[in-house]
Amino acid sequence: MKAFEFVAARDSQHAVALLAQYAPSVRVVAGGTDLLADLKFSSHVPKVVVDISRADDLRTIAVTEEGLSIGTLVTHTEIMRSPVIREMFPALVDAAHTIGAVQTRNLGTLGGNLVTAVPSMDSGPTLVALDARVTIDGSGGRRQIPLTEFFVGPRKTALKPDELLIEILIPKASLSKPTQFLKFGLRKGQALALVNVAAGFWPDWTKNVFTAPRIALGAVAPTVIRAPQAEAFLEGRAMTPEAMAEAGQIAVGEVKPISDFRASAGYRRDLVAVLTKRALEGAYALAQSRKKQ
Amino acid sequence: MDSKTTVAEKTAATGLLDAEDLMRAPALAPLIPYPVEALVPDVDKQTPAVGQRATRPDARLHGLGQTKYIDDFYLPGMLYAKIKRAGVASARIISIDTSEAERMPGVMAVITGKDVPVNSFGPSLKDQPVLADTRVFHAGDGVAAVAALTEQMAADAIEKIKVEYEEFTPVLDPLESLKLETPGVHAPSSNIYGHKVIKKGDVEKGFAESDHIFEGSFRTQMVEHVPLEPHATVATWDANGRLTIYSTLGRITLGRADVARTLGVPMSRIRIVATIVGGNFGGKNEITTEPVMALLAKKTGRPVKCTFTRPEEFTSSTTRHPLIMDYKTGVTKDGRILARKIRLVLDGGAYCSWSETTLGKACILSAGPYVIDNLYAEAFVVYTNKTMTGAMRGFGAPQVCFAYESHMDDMAKALGIDPLQMRLINALKEGSLSPTGQTLHSVAVRESLLQAAQRFGWNEKTTGATA
Amino acid sequence: MVKVTVTVNGESRTASVPPETTLLKLLRESFNLTGAKLGCDVGDCGACTVIVDGKIVNSCLMLAGQADGRDVLTIEGLATMERLHPIQKAFEDKGSLQCGFCGPGVIMAAKALLDENPNPTVQEIRDGLAGNLCRCTGYTKMIEAVQVIARGTASGQVTAKSA
Repeated sequence: MKAFEFVAARDSQHAVALLAQYAPSVRVVAGGTDLLADLKFSSHVPKVVVDISRADDLRTIAVTEEGLSIGTLVTHTEIMRSPVIREMFPALVDAAHTIGAVQTRNLGTLGGNLVTAVPSMDSGPTLVALDARVTIDGSGGRRQIPLTEFFVGPRKTALKPDELLIEILIPKASLSKPTQFLKFGLRKGQALALVNVAAGFWPDWTKNVFTAPRIALGAVAPTVIRAPQAEAFLEGRAMTPEAMAEAGQIAVGEVKPISDFRASAGYRRDLVAVLTKRALEGAYALAQSRKKQ
Repeated sequence: MDSKTTVAEKTAATGLLDAEDLMRAPALAPLIPYPVEALVPDVDKQTPAVGQRATRPDARLHGLGQTKYIDDFYLPGMLYAKIKRAGVASARIISIDTSEAERMPGVMAVITGKDVPVNSFGPSLKDQPVLADTRVFHAGDGVAAVAALTEQMAADAIEKIKVEYEEFTPVLDPLESLKLETPGVHAPSSNIYGHKVIKKGDVEKGFAESDHIFEGSFRTQMVEHVPLEPHATVATWDANGRLTIYSTLGRITLGRADVARTLGVPMSRIRIVATIVGGNFGGKNEITTEPVMALLAKKTGRPVKCTFTRPEEFTSSTTRHPLIMDYKTGVTKDGRILARKIRLVLDGGAYCSWSETTLGKACILSAGPYVIDNLYAEAFVVYTNKTMTGAMRGFGAPQVCFAYESHMDDMAKALGIDPLQMRLINALKEGSLSPTGQTLHSVAVRESLLQAAQRFGWNEKTTGATA
Repeated sequence: MVKVTVTVNGESRTASVPPETTLLKLLRESFNLTGAKLGCDVGDCGACTVIVDGKIVNSCLMLAGQADGRDVLTIEGLATMERLHPIQKAFEDKGSLQCGFCGPGVIMAAKALLDENPNPTVQEIRDGLAGNLCRCTGYTKMIEAVQVIARGTASGQVTAKSA
């Protein structure tokens, strides 16, 4: 790797100050699972790398009046083990489990996964389906934006060079919303998603209809996207397998997958239809099992 | 278990090593090389070997993490080398300017193809350069090498080497390369650098007598061995002008011959030390950077090490030949093969490497383990501007196996015959003749098929309509 | 340069290295612990796996500065002067390694798995070792070796003293 300076931040405040000091030729390292791989084969490295892995105030998982707050440094392993996440959002646990392998999950952070912003990222779809928001801190102060606005393009986010992703917030209205995440890769481990999808909704048991349905898809567009037409189709409709299958078909029309050496665009479209349907079925099964409790 | 629980407490809880034992763990591991003695095979005892349970002698050191691979060697004063890769598939080198690289801090030597006394080698055809001098034949060709104090300094230096290319349109499709009008990759030599024909009986007569004739075309892809251990070399000269090379190379005598040839040094002055290799699979069967490291070591007066990056394993080390295999088979209506005609085109990459061996094996084995009295198998290997294709586990056998077995299944399906039955009908037997006329003995094709079928529960599956 | 102090295999070690040095390079070149290997340098192959603060990580993806003050266990820290670690013994008996290059990484991953889950199912073993690639063996005998230890621990037979 080419040479750079290394500075360790004590906490999030210190990290923000360091970013302001060293911007624009500065990058943040947390778990390093994306950044280091990137820097090793890069012709340009930043002048300074700020290590935030010691900022323990960015490592908390807590339910607040706003919803569920997940600190940017929470690792994928920690997500898999968090009792509150396991209870409320099995889909987040599933998504974390599909990332890399144990070694990369022990290092890789939720914030890092979002900031790297590859279209096939595994942590994105579930959070988008849950209407997550992100808190950003920088020399210009704090701001909070919807996760969908955070993703700007492949490997591009709304972060300015001196800004740090602090927190991921799942709003109160989405707490324990039945959601399922599915990923299709060429292997069961250490695989990039050909397509991934998260689908969730609140079941109205009296009318037996979908309410507030959300379908989020990855690896089929420059960023993680929602499928608004499929969602509109489901809203207020009877919760039947036929409706779920139909939603999957509608979602196919809302994606723009590419053909690459892993899969053709046509194959990815087929996957979108099937995985969307299955994710909706999974969310329904989860909702049913909770109803029984 | 939170991170505050000590390692000792954790292992005590799981019963693997108790706390007291852990406290006696080696304190200064590097100073005490082998805490537990190595396994040594008992060579004095004559024991019946077949059927015995044996422990690998290297198992002890492997488990301890004490096996030393080439990259684990550090010699005093050792420098690190990097090779500049062409990055263009087909080109003429107009000029190479190493002046800026030579001036960079920590750079101790820079060499190019001009510094190599005899700039060609190869297991059969000597068509591969040590460092590309006038022509580049694939994007992974090395065009220059730098030895520096650290690996990063060497990597930074090769970026500053300026190479001017006159680029040509690369030949990438072996079928294109096969056509005579395509300009030779290694012009004036033909693109077809190997050709083999096996003729047995009379195929046209066999086809004429067949009830059905089936044709099938099959392709396999280029495969890289991906040994966990990348290629590595350390070269050092002693005070008497003798060269020692530590290398991951598998064929060290061949390596000595190639190094002797390219450096113009007698073989008696060249020692190659190969240790436990971290995976070869055929990919470490010929030299890569050994002569370059030797020249850098000579120029600097210091030992020089080079390890391939993982991307270099793909671009600049040998791969498995992709094959295009066309089969035409004439059969009776009950599935007996009367005649077979085969054309194989091997994608022979930028250099010959082990293509002659691969060509031979692929051609001889292309008929499959079946009795075929009328056979015509013709195989070509052609140059393309891609990574050189060489030895890999099977040397052409796996590719043709895919073809003739898939072809067999296709024919069985079309004829409505159980695929197993079709193979049993045609399988080689004791005393059968091979495609090249050899009388075969100890032939176990039928027995193997039947045993496998029994183990797989073949007869419980539906037959005839299987894909 | 950054000054890094790490507790490696129970011993405090210090080195002054360029900031871009990875933990892997620190272990191999500054501390002479060449058990952890460089297979890909991007965290795909797992040959660099070591245990940091009780968790397995790809040491090629950690900067040396990030390891400062932390507790690192490498393959060299498993055996004692007297005997092998049970995992090393099981791998030896089962013939789980061929070229051996992936071995240190796999053994560390197996150790972390068994420390956490002393009786893993086959699927859990596969999941626990998924970050370690092997080109020689096909993984079967590694899984069997881990099962031997799991069975032994469950029945109370395999302990450090009997290994």
